[in-house]
Amino acid sequence: MRLRTRIAITFVLLLAAVMATALSIVSIANHNNAAREVNRQLDVGASVFRRLIETNRRQLTQAAQAVAQDFGFREAIAAHDTDTIVSALQNSGSRIGAAMVVLTSLDGRVIAASGSTAKTGRAFLPVKTLLADTRNADSASTIFVEGGRIFELVMTSVRGPLPIAYVAMGFELDAAAAQELASVTGLDVTLSIGRGGRESYIVQTSAHAHDPQRETNERKISLSEIPGAEVTATLSRSLKEARAPFDRLANVLYAVAAASLLATSLAAVWLARNITRPLQNLIAAVDRIRAGRYDTVLKIERQDELGTLAEGMQLMQSAVDSRDQAIRQLAYRDSLTGLMNRTAFADSLRQILADEPRTTVAVAVINIDRFRRINECLGYSVGDEVLREIGHRLTAAPNIVGAVARLAADQFAAFACLAPRGSDADWASSLLMRLSEPIRVQTRPIDVTATMGIVVSPNDAADVDELLRCAELALSRARRVKRSVDFYESSLKPATSDQLSLLGELQAAVDQDQLRLAFQPKIDLASSRVAGAEVLLRWQHPTRGLLSPGTFIPFAEQTGFIRRLTRWTLNAAIARAALWWRSGNPLPLSVNISADDLADPTLDQRIAAALVQHELPPALLTLEVTESGFIDDPEGALRVLQSLSLLRVRLSIDDFGTGYSSLSYLARMPVDEIKIDRSFIDGLKTDSDFVAIVRATIEMSHSLGLTVAAEGIETHVAANILQQMKCDTGQGYLYGRPMLVEDLQRWLAGRDRMPVDKTRRQFDVEGALSLTDDTNILHLIRPGGGGI
Amino acid sequence: MIGVRFSIANDALSGGNRARAPAVFALMFGILSSVALRVEAAPVEFQLTDTHGGAVADAVVILDPLDADPPPSHSNAVIDQVNKAFVPHVSVVRTGTSISFPNSDNIRHQVYSFSPAKTFTIKLYAGSPKETIAVEKSGLIVLGCNIHDSMVGFLAVVNTPYFGKSTPEGMLRIDAPNGRYRLRVWHERLAQPFAAESISIDAAGLRLPLKLNILAGSAVPAAWPE
Repeated sequence: MRLRTRIAITFVLLLAAVMATALSIVSIANHNNAAREVNRQLDVGASVFRRLIETNRRQLTQAAQAVAQDFGFREAIAAHDTDTIVSALQNSGSRIGAAMVVLTSLDGRVIAASGSTAKTGRAFLPVKTLLADTRNADSASTIFVEGGRIFELVMTSVRGPLPIAYVAMGFELDAAAAQELASVTGLDVTLSIGRGGRESYIVQTSAHAHDPQRETNERKISLSEIPGAEVTATLSRSLKEARAPFDRLANVLYAVAAASLLATSLAAVWLARNITRPLQNLIAAVDRIRAGRYDTVLKIERQDELGTLAEGMQLMQSAVDSRDQAIRQLAYRDSLTGLMNRTAFADSLRQILADEPRTTVAVAVINIDRFRRINECLGYSVGDEVLREIGHRLTAAPNIVGAVARLAADQFAAFACLAPRGSDADWASSLLMRLSEPIRVQTRPIDVTATMGIVVSPNDAADVDELLRCAELALSRARRVKRSVDFYESSLKPATSDQLSLLGELQAAVDQDQLRLAFQPKIDLASSRVAGAEVLLRWQHPTRGLLSPGTFIPFAEQTGFIRRLTRWTLNAAIARAALWWRSGNPLPLSVNISADDLADPTLDQRIAAALVQHELPPALLTLEVTESGFIDDPEGALRVLQSLSLLRVRLSIDDFGTGYSSLSYLARMPVDEIKIDRSFIDGLKTDSDFVAIVRATIEMSHSLGLTVAAEGIETHVAANILQQMKCDTGQGYLYGRPMLVEDLQRWLAGRDRMPVDKTRRQFDVEGALSLTDDTNILHLIRPGGGGI
Repeated sequence: MIGVRFSIANDALSGGNRARAPAVFALMFGILSSVALRVEAAPVEFQLTDTHGGAVADAVVILDPLDADPPPSHSNAVIDQVNKAFVPHVSVVRTGTSISFPNSDNIRHQVYSFSPAKTFTIKLYAGSPKETIAVEKSGLIVLGCNIHDSMVGFLAVVNTPYFGKSTPEGMLRIDAPNGRYRLRVWHERLAQPFAAESISIDAAGLRLPLKLNILAGSAVPAAWPE
């Protein structure tokens, strides 16, 4: 039930209960009071009645005695003068108003009578019963009934001087007598004769004395017990009459009660509303706060608890608001730089994408190069300052940058809505421009450079998580190829839907022999003879057909599965080369080694074991290591190369010129060959700068005693140029596409080959063993051992 | 006839009975000694007791001679009113006696009697009334005072010279000549009239202890034995 209703009902019920209780108490009290009062009146009335009867009797007795003492009366009696007696009786009777006067002898026989039906000579009944009393007390009285009339009879003896007769005087208890009694006592008087249901009411002062409706209380006074002539006086009082004054008052009280109930109801309703209306306002405010709106004005102009509540809620609202904002800050802000964090950035980006679905949005992920170095050399406080400054600079021009966030320790992100024909490249370079100015920390200028990966929506992706991932992929490649900006291409990413299953499939590919070797021939440019072949991996997918490495190699590199693949490739290539070697048609093979493979400490042992197992002269194996493998840890890569060179295999640097490798390392690396990246070869015919670079590379390599190979030769023009520049070997579609072994053997048939030095000594087992103390190598090279 | 007038002057405060007894006795003696007929009188001694053995005083004993009629007598008697009481309370006189009722009280009395033996009224008076009341008939005369209901006296009138009233000790001596008599005894509270039809008195005398049934407190006088 609502509070308002409850308050109102409570008030009203309470008041009603109180009034009902009060009225009923008063009513009951009055009832009891009236009853008590009536009883008291009856008691008083009864004793008054008795006293009156008593007084009457005494008066009558005295009167009778006066008569009895009259000498003439006595003389007449002594003389038996009946007439005189009778007249004397009459006279004395009328003198005092006695209705009946009777003279009896000493044995109760009537001598003379007046006003009575008593017969002379007969016994006078009441006298007889009084004789004992009279003898002792000289007078007696009784109530007696004659002819349906009630008499109070007093009897006294006539002396002469000893009792000679009795004179009895009777006074009727008639209506007048009863009325007098009634008026003195204030009660209703009823005189009745008889008993037990056979009463006859002789006198009633009130006609309704026995009306049961009147609720009378009675007192019965027995005036005579003579069987058959019982006389009872009944005094009664009506309770109803006694209560009458209150009953009149009661009606007034009821009216007052009703009126005050009504007034109270109204007051209660008003009061309830007075309380609940502000409460409703507060409830509405609470709902708004719950919905996250903290701007409600909670004002109740009252001095009471509700006013205090409103004030408190106002304060609470602002407290919740500020806490909410603080939490948002924590949740969405990077504490160091004040920029958005990843979550906020993603939300913001999501919002933009939703609001303006047709706009081109460029998302960039920016990584600060070698930031760890800054922390290590200059300290973390400087590093923090640098980050803060970077944050400032990136957010400096809000109309270019949509939002800037700090994703990780040294990684930032930004997005911007591009103009319809705006260029993402321009935006990217404008961002990088901001960082070009050195950052001043404690007056020390610090140069920072950044690498950036960019993705554009909706072209490349439309989902926020996708966009970030693609940008990060672009960033990885940019770092890998040492470009400051890289733009996302779908080739960077394997088919998203199949990635996890791809790993299992790759494992299956290895186990179930689905991998295939493809060979792309290398041509000696000077002689146009086959110098060897580069081994490439193909995957005979059960459902998708023959897959080229581009579809799974990057994924393998990211997941580290590349090592397994490389192991397989090496094993298969070495086996194939050994086969050709034993068949007398040796062909040197080149196998690609990824940066990840370089990090494998057992790489050299495995290669050694495979060579021993297949008994392949190491000179027939060339390992092509991509230049980007040297970026992260050049010293480590150098060590690996040195240990590999001890195996007497050939080492080649692949994709030369695309990475950022120091030329000083080049001098120290025990490599045999440099492979110029295809990007330089592509531009050979058009770009004179490329020509110069290629020429310089070839010359530098030759000066260092290295051979030079060129890959991606597709035109004769390029081939001619390279040939003129004295490039040693070439590879490309011009000469042959990568082909499976059967096709290669067919292709090789009828072509001249470069001679292989058959006099190169056999693989030096002891030399291999000297490479390591690891006795496991013995297991690897034992005949029938597991190979790589 | 020797009229013996006895006026018993009593102390007003003392009880009358004690003084009365010797007076009566003297009266009787006087009366007897004055009798002309000198007959041999033998003493009859009565001792009257009630049922509890207590003495009965003021009992009137009458001996009616059966042999000869007693001679008439004319004498006087006095019944005084002292302290609102008749003194003596009980008197016995012979028929023909004249009784005077002096009022020794300082208040007036109205003496009356409704008894059939003598109905009279002496109107309210003080001191000595002029008239005397002569009683001719035998019987019991109940005396009363009109004003004072409590004043009651008894005057027994008898036809024989042989009568008496018992002393407070219940004793009585009557000297009566030999012969046969009818004995009557009356007391104001006697339950029934007492009469013995014939008793003989001889020279030796008679001792008669009589047991009477005296009622305690009775307002109605006992019937007079005729």
